[in-house]
Amino acid sequence: MRGGSWTEPTVYAVMAALRSGEREAARRGLQWIVKAQRPDGGWAPRPEVDQSTWVTALVALLPEEHLKAGQHRQAIAWLMGTTGNESTPVYRLREWLLGNAIPPDQQFPGWPWVPGAAAWVGPTALAILALDQELRRNPQSKARRRWDEGRRFLLARMCQGGGWNHGSSHALGYESRPYPETTGMALAALRGVNAPPVYEALAVARRFLKECRSADALNWLRLGLRAHGQMPSDYCPPPDIACRTVPETSLDVLVSSAEASRESLWT
Amino acid sequence: MKRKSYSPHPQSGLNRREWMAVSAGAAAAVSLSGCGNTTPVPIPPSAVLIVRAPAYDQSLYDTVRQILLSHRLDVRGRNIVIKPNLVEFEPESSINTHPILVHAAYEAFRAMGAATVRIAEGPGHRRNTLDLADAAGYFKTVPRFEDIFTDLNLDDVTRVLPKRQFSRLQKMYLPNTALGADLLVSMPKMKTHHWVGATLSMKNLFGVVPSAVYGWPKNVLHWAGIDESIADLHAAFPRQFALVDGIVGMEGNGPIQGVPKHAGVLVAGRDPVAVDATCCRIMCIDPLKIGYLQLTADGKTSHMTERNILQTGESIAAVATPFALIPEFQRVRLERS
Repeated sequence: MRGGSWTEPTVYAVMAALRSGEREAARRGLQWIVKAQRPDGGWAPRPEVDQSTWVTALVALLPEEHLKAGQHRQAIAWLMGTTGNESTPVYRLREWLLGNAIPPDQQFPGWPWVPGAAAWVGPTALAILALDQELRRNPQSKARRRWDEGRRFLLARMCQGGGWNHGSSHALGYESRPYPETTGMALAALRGVNAPPVYEALAVARRFLKECRSADALNWLRLGLRAHGQMPSDYCPPPDIACRTVPETSLDVLVSSAEASRESLWT
Repeated sequence: MKRKSYSPHPQSGLNRREWMAVSAGAAAAVSLSGCGNTTPVPIPPSAVLIVRAPAYDQSLYDTVRQILLSHRLDVRGRNIVIKPNLVEFEPESSINTHPILVHAAYEAFRAMGAATVRIAEGPGHRRNTLDLADAAGYFKTVPRFEDIFTDLNLDDVTRVLPKRQFSRLQKMYLPNTALGADLLVSMPKMKTHHWVGATLSMKNLFGVVPSAVYGWPKNVLHWAGIDESIADLHAAFPRQFALVDGIVGMEGNGPIQGVPKHAGVLVAGRDPVAVDATCCRIMCIDPLKIGYLQLTADGKTSHMTERNILQTGESIAAVATPFALIPEFQRVRLERS
């Protein structure tokens, strides 16, 4: 195997190994993850990178008991202290001084891929899934407000006609098209939201599920539709779809096993 | 109207008149350099070749080989990394660099004796790079594509401190495959761009920035200044060659939602600044009004003024094709067009 380890594939591989009972593989992966935590409580994409980023949300999706004491709480605290740059008080003050109104899609704070940049759909959806888990464990958590705002962020970033792309639903007066993978991610994070925009997005997701040829996208579409009880019961993945990366293979294992057992994936 | 002819001779892209011009310049440089410290030394021009290529067909294999040979690239025993522009899952659109052109470059470098040739890209919007390449026709066109391709979004990285910092980024994590290349070959699509005016070989280097570190999109680069980040990346990769796919480009709201535009040209050279400036002139865009070209044309090794570009092959006037610009970028329209 070439190259060093990355946090994202390691977390997904550990989740799949835990789900399939591969305890030794999971233990080794968890050992690496536990050691990789940074002093600020977050995780970097890989150890050589000196900044905590969006992958912290993925680590926070791991069952608390598999991390070292306090690590899970620190991961949640890091997420709570991170927001898109366009939502920071300094940026908002600057815009106010310039006489610029806050655009509707920037009313609510989401999460960035990297601190210092704007919020986007992918990292916001993952952070919501992590906070969702936290709220199930601790319903009184202060995380509820950010969780709620994050979901409003997603609804504000929906493309016209339903679905999501990376998070830029329009630019310079042009409407942008949705992507299957981010549509699935956002729907997974909006579990329990019953509103017409979500119905539109579900229709888009069902269409993507029929047409899409990407394993990553199909995994997330299955998760998103399943979160709303809208996964077609007779669905069978296309036989020639290739899982080409560790996250794709791991997510496929996770989603298939959750579908077979009718259990929730991250609760 | 042909101003300069494209030499099919494999050893040189310059005709006799051009050789004389270059030789005269070099002789003047030698003679002037001995006259005292106060006399400025003439600067060698950047050679840029424009070749007509009407369609994506088999003839491109010979055309690309001739282009590379004419630039006298000695790639024997070298490691070559070809960086196309892969953006979206729309094979019928003109968003992505055409796979047959990339394969033609791959075969040409191999035939010229390169030790290794890899195709590498790190798309900025879509995570599933190989699926994207598949949809864009790369698996169908390039034999054993998966074996010779590196997803730069997932490659091992090294921290790079900019030699001369243009953007707010004090450091960048860049993929080892690109950093280790003896020659990084930027093969973009000729497109307008709704944030910087035109996206060509230099903007194409956004694709070497690893999304596994910076995300999809690589929004850090926008906050650090798009033009400035392009300049930083240009400085980080000193060994480049640019080959621009202008057979069918994109006009209007590029780089994704624009309209296909047939220009029927390939533009190539060792100096990405000169190549991009020439492409701008072909698109009837004023390169002097493009921010990243202003930042990077240092007048020593990177040129954007016509007098410092030794342009061979077709003349700009012969192939000029006005690319439609969105209202926000009407200001960069080349006035003479």
